[in-house]
Amino acid sequence: MNLFNKKKTKLEATNEFNQVVVGNSLTKDAWRRLKKNKMAVISVVIVSIYILLAILAPILPIYPYDEIILDHQHLKPSLSKTSGELLTEKKMADLYTQAWRQGRLKVTPEEDDMLWAWIDSSNANKVWDYMFIVGSEQIADGTYTFTSAEKRTIDNLEKKLKTDLQITVKKVWHTNQETGKKDNVAKLPVEQVVEIYAEMVGTSVEIVSEQYEREIEQQLVKVIMAQNPDLTPEEYLLLYDKELESMSEKEHDKLVKENVLAKISSRAKEIASKDLKVAATDESAVFPLDKEIIIQGSLSADVEATKMHDRRYYLGTDYQGRDMLSRIIYGGQVSIAIGFIGTITSVFIGIILGALAGYLGGKVDYFIMRIVDIMYGLPYMLLVIIAMAIFGRNILNLFFALAIISWLTVSRMVRGQIMSLKNQEFIEAARSMGAPTWRIIFRHLVPNSLSVIIVFSTLRIPSFIMTESFLSFLGLGVQAPYASWGSLVGDAVGGMTLYPWKLFFPAAAMTIFLFAMNFLGDGLRDAFDPQSKNQL
Amino acid sequence: MSKTTEKRPLLEVKDLKQHFPIESGFIMKRQIGAVRAVDGISFTVNEGETLGIVGESGCGKSTTVRSIAQLYKPTSGSVIFDGIDLVNAPREQMLDARKNIQMIFQDPYASLDPRMTVRTIIAEPLEIYRTRGMLDASVTRDVIEKRVEELMERVGLNRAFKNRYPHEFSGGQRQRIGIARALALNPKIILADEPVSALDVSIQSQILNLLHDLQKELGLTYVFIAHDLAVIEYISTRVAVMYLGKIMELSRSSDLYKNPLHPYTKALLSAAPIPDPVIERKRQRIILTGDVPSPNKERFGCYFYDRCPYKMEKCKTNIPPMKRMDEHHEVACWLYE
Repeated sequence: MNLFNKKKTKLEATNEFNQVVVGNSLTKDAWRRLKKNKMAVISVVIVSIYILLAILAPILPIYPYDEIILDHQHLKPSLSKTSGELLTEKKMADLYTQAWRQGRLKVTPEEDDMLWAWIDSSNANKVWDYMFIVGSEQIADGTYTFTSAEKRTIDNLEKKLKTDLQITVKKVWHTNQETGKKDNVAKLPVEQVVEIYAEMVGTSVEIVSEQYEREIEQQLVKVIMAQNPDLTPEEYLLLYDKELESMSEKEHDKLVKENVLAKISSRAKEIASKDLKVAATDESAVFPLDKEIIIQGSLSADVEATKMHDRRYYLGTDYQGRDMLSRIIYGGQVSIAIGFIGTITSVFIGIILGALAGYLGGKVDYFIMRIVDIMYGLPYMLLVIIAMAIFGRNILNLFFALAIISWLTVSRMVRGQIMSLKNQEFIEAARSMGAPTWRIIFRHLVPNSLSVIIVFSTLRIPSFIMTESFLSFLGLGVQAPYASWGSLVGDAVGGMTLYPWKLFFPAAAMTIFLFAMNFLGDGLRDAFDPQSKNQL
Repeated sequence: MSKTTEKRPLLEVKDLKQHFPIESGFIMKRQIGAVRAVDGISFTVNEGETLGIVGESGCGKSTTVRSIAQLYKPTSGSVIFDGIDLVNAPREQMLDARKNIQMIFQDPYASLDPRMTVRTIIAEPLEIYRTRGMLDASVTRDVIEKRVEELMERVGLNRAFKNRYPHEFSGGQRQRIGIARALALNPKIILADEPVSALDVSIQSQILNLLHDLQKELGLTYVFIAHDLAVIEYISTRVAVMYLGKIMELSRSSDLYKNPLHPYTKALLSAAPIPDPVIERKRQRIILTGDVPSPNKERFGCYFYDRCPYKMEKCKTNIPPMKRMDEHHEVACWLYE
């Protein structure tokens, strides 16, 4: 009743004079026009899916992008087969091919000719595939049997596939003897962790601390050596001392804790793998499984075990047995981030400098534009490469190097826009009202040139991704274990004929995204320009 | 309004010159001349009156108004408003004084920011002076909101439209928005730069009536530019005739139309058609020869010399001063020596 009354009074208050008519802004109009453009809408959907995948990558059910499983090198993409089945297939094909070449496996002379022709044109994949089919048939018919050595190989492989486990230690627990409370060791203070470890190995805390100090030193020196090669050992020690000094107590404690925890975990892993191997061989346990194991005394650990060769690689694996699917998704993360962040930075710098040059004119304009001209004159790629060489090769520097070069075009464009706008009467009106310069630029001029800027930025993102890919392809961009579409393509070019999936999938992912971005840019341009031919 | 307040000069322009430099050279800019858009004009505007400025295109009407509003920094001369010289006053003081001088622009399509709602456009002067801290502390967002609605109703717009964008209005409505914006800060003087010449004739009369009503209600003072003589006759108390950056004649509106003195004013008035075909066909028009000369060169004689049908030897080398013919009538011509 109460609710009803409230609603009623509200309705009564709405009369002709109090209602507010919501206007149609130009942006709203543009959005409406964009929604009528089918290609642009599809592009928006595709781009959103890409961005969602990139953002959600850490919580997606995919394998870690940097996990190396050497057994799984160069596995074919397959929707239905596990990696174990693929490995068996590969081995069998190999065995049949060997048998054929040794003359033990007979095929018709026509087939012989065909196989040799394939080998001559280095079509090894075709030979293997064909031999796998022929061999399987002959085994089934009984026209070919394996030798004992071959049988042994196959048995070994089968056993390996069955028993190879992947064990991850999720949490390490420490049970307090007096209270019986279980504590997560990772959350305990560092002194206690060290004590627990010393107790586990059966030595004193001093010996343990001496050991980890040495290990941390080695670790740090390694990092320093990677950063600055070509120094004398004394200089390294000096740098190390400096590094140690600059490190706060907290950071140091964290390093110690990581070090010790890793040791405890590895012990847990050892114990678990010993336990579970037996279970896997006699098939008494079902994988994947979660289990709590006792490490020693009051120390226990939650471990998760999966059969390594039950993995499925929908897009195949690369030369180190890493999952291509997750590498493409994580590579997309880097590529898209470079596209967007690079564009945003360059547009930001470009707007500010272009707006100042365009609005203030005179000497300011002259100097900014001459800087732009000079930088235009320098070869763009060379500058990026030099910047990368000077500042070191990591993702942040790549962002930086791309951003400092690419604001030039934006600033020119913004300047042109603002010069054409600044003599409009509404700017004069704002000045006559006493508006300060920043207000005129950021409240009137920039919003009015925003449509051009948005269109330009959308079309700019693909070019950023292309540049990044190009640099990564050359080996100047993203470094392993990180991936980007460009570096994936670059890595794949080597074995292009043997492992075409390594090239195809990242290239396809990149192409679809670039197409979508370009269509979206075109759609936006048409939407923001009512005079265009697609006017609705 | 009583007669005494009408006499008080609100705005005084003294020998105002606005020259735009012509530069040449690559890096080291060198001035090679100047466009003398306004070349030394003086007049006063009294409180509550309307000063009309007429003249053909390019004679410096708009520049005069923009110089008064300090959109350009005048080359020399002074603009004294309420006892403050806007040209030489410190910036803060100038801005504070200029709160009382607002402008209405010619093109209602170009003078409103297409990306702002009507609300934002009308509130903008208030927001600007609020952020500058030159308004009372009592002026809050809500007060501004109320003021916007009040202004919209005052200029004859439905306040329900305050969230609409300029492109959703007709030309006349837009000009009303422009007027509301000019009124937002309660100015004393409004500089109207051809406010009706871009509008349809029927709309023109509406806007002129609105301006007239506002003047009566709020006691506004106008400086009104037009090249339509009928419009000027309707709205102005006094009229200044400009030619080539100089004032040729300055007189009460009624006197000027009945008894034009300057040859240029005569030619200008005779160029306006009379809406009666019988009289129009019979009447003798003064047709000037030649074009308006370039404003780039400095002149030592009468500015109208090149085209004047009554030119004398004296006019060539002597600039005629403003000569007061009677209480309300001044003219710059050697004929009346």
